[in-house]
Amino acid sequence: MPGFYAKLRLSLRKEVLGLLCVKHSPASVSGCSYHHKLLVNILQANNFVNFLGNGYTLNATEIHVGCAPIHESVLFVDCLPTTVVSDYSRESCKYMGPSYIHLCCLCYKEAWDDYNRYLSDKKANEKEVWIVRQGIRKLIQAQDIHVGNIVWLRENDEVPCDLVLLGTQILRGFVMWRLMSYGLTGYESSNIPTAALDGETDLKTRLIPSACMGIDVELLHKIKGVIECPTPDKDIRRFDSNMRLFPPFLDNDVCPLTIKNTLLQSCYLRNTEWACGVAVYTGNETKLGMSRGVPEPKLTAVDAMIDKLTGAIFVFQIVVVIVLGIAGNVWKDTEARKLWYVRYPTEGPWYELLIIPLRFELLCSIMIPISIKVSLDLVKGLYAKFIDWDDQMVDVETETRSHAANTAISEDLGQVEYILTDKTGTLTENKMIFKRCCISGRFYGNENGDALTDVQLLNAVSSGSTDVIQFLKIMAICNTVIPVRSKSGDISYKAQSQDEEALVRAAARLHMAFVNKNGNILDISFNASLVRYEVLDILEFTSDRKRMSVVVKDCQSGKIFLLSKGADEAILPHAYAGQQIRTFAEAVEQYAQLGLRTLCLAWRELDHDEYQEWASMFKEANSTLVDREWRVAEVCQRLEHDFEILGVAAIEDRLQDGVPETIETLRKAGINFWMLTGDKQNTAIQIALSCNFVSPEPKGQLLMINGKTEDEVCRSLERVLLTMRITNSEPKDVAFVVDGWALEIALKHYRKAFTELAVLSRTAICCRVTPSQKAQLVELLKSCEYRTLAIGDGGNDVRMIQQADIGVGISGREGLQAARAADYSIGKFRFLRRLILVHGRYSYNRTAFLSQYSFYKSLLICFIQIFFSFISGVSGTSLFNSVSLMAYNVFYTSVPVLISVLDKDLSERTVMQHPQILFYCQAGRLLNPSTFAGWFGRSLFHAIVVFVISIHSYAFEKSEMEEVSMVALSGCIWLQAFVVALETNSFTILQHIAIWGNLVAFYVINWIVSALPSSGMYTIMFRLCKQPSYWITMILIVAAGMGPVLALKYFRYTYRSSKINILQQAERLGGPILSLGNIEPQPRSLEKDLSPLSISQPKGRNSVYEPLLSDSPNATRRSFGPGAPFDFFQPQSRLASSYTRNCKDN
Amino acid sequence: MPSGDGSTKSSTKTSTKPKYSRFTQQELPACKPILTPGLVMAAFLILGLAFIPIGLSHLSASDSVVQLIDRYDEACIPADNSNPEEANGKRISYIQDDKTDKTCTRNFTVPQKMKQPIFVYYQLDEFYQNHRRYVRSRNDQQYGSASAERKTANCDPEAEVNGNPIVPCGLIAWSLFNDTYSLSRNDVALPINKNGIAWESDKTSRFGSDVYPKNFQTRSPIGGGKLNEKIPLNQQEDLLVWMRTATLPSFRKLYGRIETDLEENEIIKVVIQNNYNTYTFSGKKKLVISTTTWIGGKNDFLGRVYVTVGGICLLIAITYIIFYLVKPRPLGDPAYLSWNKVPASN
Repeated sequence: MPGFYAKLRLSLRKEVLGLLCVKHSPASVSGCSYHHKLLVNILQANNFVNFLGNGYTLNATEIHVGCAPIHESVLFVDCLPTTVVSDYSRESCKYMGPSYIHLCCLCYKEAWDDYNRYLSDKKANEKEVWIVRQGIRKLIQAQDIHVGNIVWLRENDEVPCDLVLLGTQILRGFVMWRLMSYGLTGYESSNIPTAALDGETDLKTRLIPSACMGIDVELLHKIKGVIECPTPDKDIRRFDSNMRLFPPFLDNDVCPLTIKNTLLQSCYLRNTEWACGVAVYTGNETKLGMSRGVPEPKLTAVDAMIDKLTGAIFVFQIVVVIVLGIAGNVWKDTEARKLWYVRYPTEGPWYELLIIPLRFELLCSIMIPISIKVSLDLVKGLYAKFIDWDDQMVDVETETRSHAANTAISEDLGQVEYILTDKTGTLTENKMIFKRCCISGRFYGNENGDALTDVQLLNAVSSGSTDVIQFLKIMAICNTVIPVRSKSGDISYKAQSQDEEALVRAAARLHMAFVNKNGNILDISFNASLVRYEVLDILEFTSDRKRMSVVVKDCQSGKIFLLSKGADEAILPHAYAGQQIRTFAEAVEQYAQLGLRTLCLAWRELDHDEYQEWASMFKEANSTLVDREWRVAEVCQRLEHDFEILGVAAIEDRLQDGVPETIETLRKAGINFWMLTGDKQNTAIQIALSCNFVSPEPKGQLLMINGKTEDEVCRSLERVLLTMRITNSEPKDVAFVVDGWALEIALKHYRKAFTELAVLSRTAICCRVTPSQKAQLVELLKSCEYRTLAIGDGGNDVRMIQQADIGVGISGREGLQAARAADYSIGKFRFLRRLILVHGRYSYNRTAFLSQYSFYKSLLICFIQIFFSFISGVSGTSLFNSVSLMAYNVFYTSVPVLISVLDKDLSERTVMQHPQILFYCQAGRLLNPSTFAGWFGRSLFHAIVVFVISIHSYAFEKSEMEEVSMVALSGCIWLQAFVVALETNSFTILQHIAIWGNLVAFYVINWIVSALPSSGMYTIMFRLCKQPSYWITMILIVAAGMGPVLALKYFRYTYRSSKINILQQAERLGGPILSLGNIEPQPRSLEKDLSPLSISQPKGRNSVYEPLLSDSPNATRRSFGPGAPFDFFQPQSRLASSYTRNCKDN
Repeated sequence: MPSGDGSTKSSTKTSTKPKYSRFTQQELPACKPILTPGLVMAAFLILGLAFIPIGLSHLSASDSVVQLIDRYDEACIPADNSNPEEANGKRISYIQDDKTDKTCTRNFTVPQKMKQPIFVYYQLDEFYQNHRRYVRSRNDQQYGSASAERKTANCDPEAEVNGNPIVPCGLIAWSLFNDTYSLSRNDVALPINKNGIAWESDKTSRFGSDVYPKNFQTRSPIGGGKLNEKIPLNQQEDLLVWMRTATLPSFRKLYGRIETDLEENEIIKVVIQNNYNTYTFSGKKKLVISTTTWIGGKNDFLGRVYVTVGGICLLIAITYIIFYLVKPRPLGDPAYLSWNKVPASN
């Protein structure tokens, strides 16, 4: 039903194009009665009114039984007896008991989550809120807020639904507010994506729409108008709508609304005493609500393998059932009819032929261990907890612990083959420091490496060099930073961009301090004199435009300026005709080679007329509803030209601690690294070099794929591919470098070749890629059946993180956006090593054992049942009673194996020293059909041992059903204890308790049961334990069952040992491990790597075999040559194409 | 829904920080045994050396059991030389005929001195007491107390006669074995004590002392033996023994005990009432007279397997010792790590 509602509602919404009335009373708004009517219709038809309340109680209990065949077989077994053979239904309960218990566990867990959710929903729904209705302020429950109500909030209130801001305490002021990190308690467990949600805890400025400015507080009650807004979506960065107020407030001028004018649900109001707004989206239609969908559950490779094996077992089970069913019917007709004491009726019911197969289906239903699902859920939860608990993965600086948001995919960590990493903030610290600059051809900061202490620059500032001062002004003004003055008078800056903050700070150090921002008025203090600017427009930064500009008016002179900053290729091509940009291009080049981030600063004075004309266009573009982003970009383009380039600022972003070591270790572990960055090629290559991403010259080789047209890209791609094929056999580190433009062509037209390249290449550097390209690359690798891990820290990595098999987010300075979308969040890149090598590897090993063991023990008991059917006239008699069977699956065999998840085959230190050992996990050596066949064979062998020994030693006069079944069952329990013990690599006290304690518990439980006169087993266990032959039989079963297994294991361990075995021996015997020290990764000094640029002198670029590392600067410089048009950057077409792509993707 | 506000987020993170514990850090002290040659060889040697004597003593115990087995189903029926099918039909009609006297006399010689207690068993072969239609066909609630006599679930088709419940109900009870044996030695009757042949627990709890047979074997077809309606179920020890169903299609059930010693070469005369029908399904009936030891009756299976397993263990141990001596292989030699040989090859 809810789904139906939603669809109906959306379709209606489209019809009216999201027309909502801001109303007090239906009668008073004559102008929009039509819309109003529609609105009312919608309200009544779909219970639109209180959907906040409806909205939260959304949880249909749904249990995902990961292994489909399990589910299937349960249902199969479940339904048939009850429907076809009614008198068997009671029987089926006995057999299905274990699975019911397990399903109940799952249900209980879900129900508990649901209940918690219900409580939190209720709390949210019943929260009291002030709203204005019928012109009167009243207090209602949050669930009764209607679209169109005016909601009043006080400081620190949580916003109950999405609002359009109408008024605040400060007349022209702004509200600072905070986006909460969503979904703290209730939603964590259910993997609600906080995907597109901004997890940041920064304050964000929200503005009153221009139309509402200046309206008196009292009048806000009576405000009326229409807001046109799009159908609800989850994009929290866009709200393209407009508002028209009814007289007497304003003329019918349409006022554009953006996301800046909204207060989104679940945020908190700060820095203003009150605010009021009109509800536009409520309940599940808020931006938060829309992005709260259920994500596709990620399935690990291990799970897929388990599913596959389960499927195989299921087929095997069906075959067994059919074969035994036929055999049983044949035997019945030839032999059993002669057995007078069985009294087969001569004429059976119509389903008579089905009875025996169904019997066997019941007997064999335990072949597929239902408990595996619950066991895996439990241990996976524990793996995740181990990650959360790990004290070695705590970022001491920010006290951030690692967190596993997705508890289900730890095994995949051990099977990662490709890591795709972001650069900024992931490999680097994202702690920006302004280091160097080049102002009108003069380089500052080159000598001492820090422009802020460069005497020349300081002199230039104090002497008042115009260029320098203008440069500093842009640094200080051209941004969206908010200065916050603390009580002690110090100014701190709140910025969304680290770069901007670095620039503003640097400007302040150079005496150009940005001291105050009051609405649109900025105060700059320069050498103690206060300069005031009014910000007229902000042309925002987008990753496609790669620049941002502000239009400011000097409040004294009244002149209007356009101040811009941006990436070199977004600024330099737009210089005015006569300006020499060569020095700037060279500066950019030089800084990039040092691994610094560069920003070009430029400005232009605007005519009043030009500005006015443009401003109206800009306003219009800003109020469009369709493709607003694209249209705004187009309009911005019209203003941003004929710049006077002032200079280049270089910002340093240091590598995080331990990055090179981490990458080197993980590369040794056989993991391929791809770096996907929005930065430019040279910066990316430098960072790649300095963090061991690619080896320097003699060992490594970089291959460029570039080109501006299809042909060029194609040729370049083929050359690289050729080289790659040749060098693939050599022990050489070959990496390819591709930029976003070439990548787009390659992905579009030469996907096959590029895929081949991707498979051949262990390392790749992709520069200037957009978020969607990052996701495309992940998709490409996934389509080649590789396990991918994407790691990033910023909002631009979210899509990649969600796309990858495993998403890791760094809870860094760019907010928590990536960390919240990710499956794992860690504080620093270096923890990735531990996450993969320790947690991932252990998880994989443990799950591999646990799952195969679960199959083993189920098969063991099932084989015994099958063997027994051969001596019971193929009639489908169960040897074991139902209680014992249930206890066997649920208790006796589950507990020891659950504790086995504490097992560690190798110590953490050994694994860190020999990361190559990860290969066993990557290649899935511990869980695959052949290892499974081993376990299958073992269970068959053990079943034969237990069955043959128990029926022969308890033959003739001792051949009593209950006794033999207990002998066989205790044989199984003994064997499984020894199997677990043999497969355990390290025994902690808990394992001893679990394994041997379980054995003792088996006897204690059975003694207790045997002491109950009402039970079928009354006195059985006491009788058995008194007999010497019982104990002799047990010893024999253990010896005969484990002897060959031990002998085989020892043989393989010693004479066919795997690398794991060798390391175990080395580690535990102590001796030779010392000699292994030589292959420990040698720490590389950062300094050594940070200055390799000098070695890369330009060479000719005749052949692709030429290491392109050194070649690249030359290549780029060429295209910067005087007069050479920047043909690689085609602003219009490219912008357009990327916008259309973005639209499509959205 | 989010309950705290943002500023507390980071602080909750640290406050929920668990205290350092060896468990959470996965650093519990562990014992890490590995399969060293010494350990494995010692294990196999010890197993082998321990198993062979156990097996041998078991074998000797089994050997010391004296048992007499006499298959009488063929002998105790009038011989018929016509074709087999007809013969079988005649046998069946013979055994099913109530009026015929089916007494049959057998003699055998005691091969060795048999010390009391000597157990008398009947053995049935090819009798599927474990067949699922059969094994479920009982109702222990009914057997347990007189008040539950109407509880005849599972007992079909021997549940009720004309609406009155059959006590004891079910196929197992209905097919009660009813051959009888009387032994004599030198024409002196050899008493067989039939008391205490059933499990004590069956007598005290499973079968009620107030439950008397009712409507039992009162309608055709009549299965096996009849029960004395004056004796409560828990005193009917033959029934109790029969109702302990056997796991295998070939089984022995206790008939009684002889409480005197039998000397070597004594002739035992057995008078058998050959009532029980095994001829329809070609089952065999045997009379077994046997002594017991600590392992129970004669059963050399365990002994043989013990000796075999012990032998195999010794063999394995010796093989590995030879391997170890001829082709020693150092454990944990880093030279075996492939990546140490060719660095950066993978």
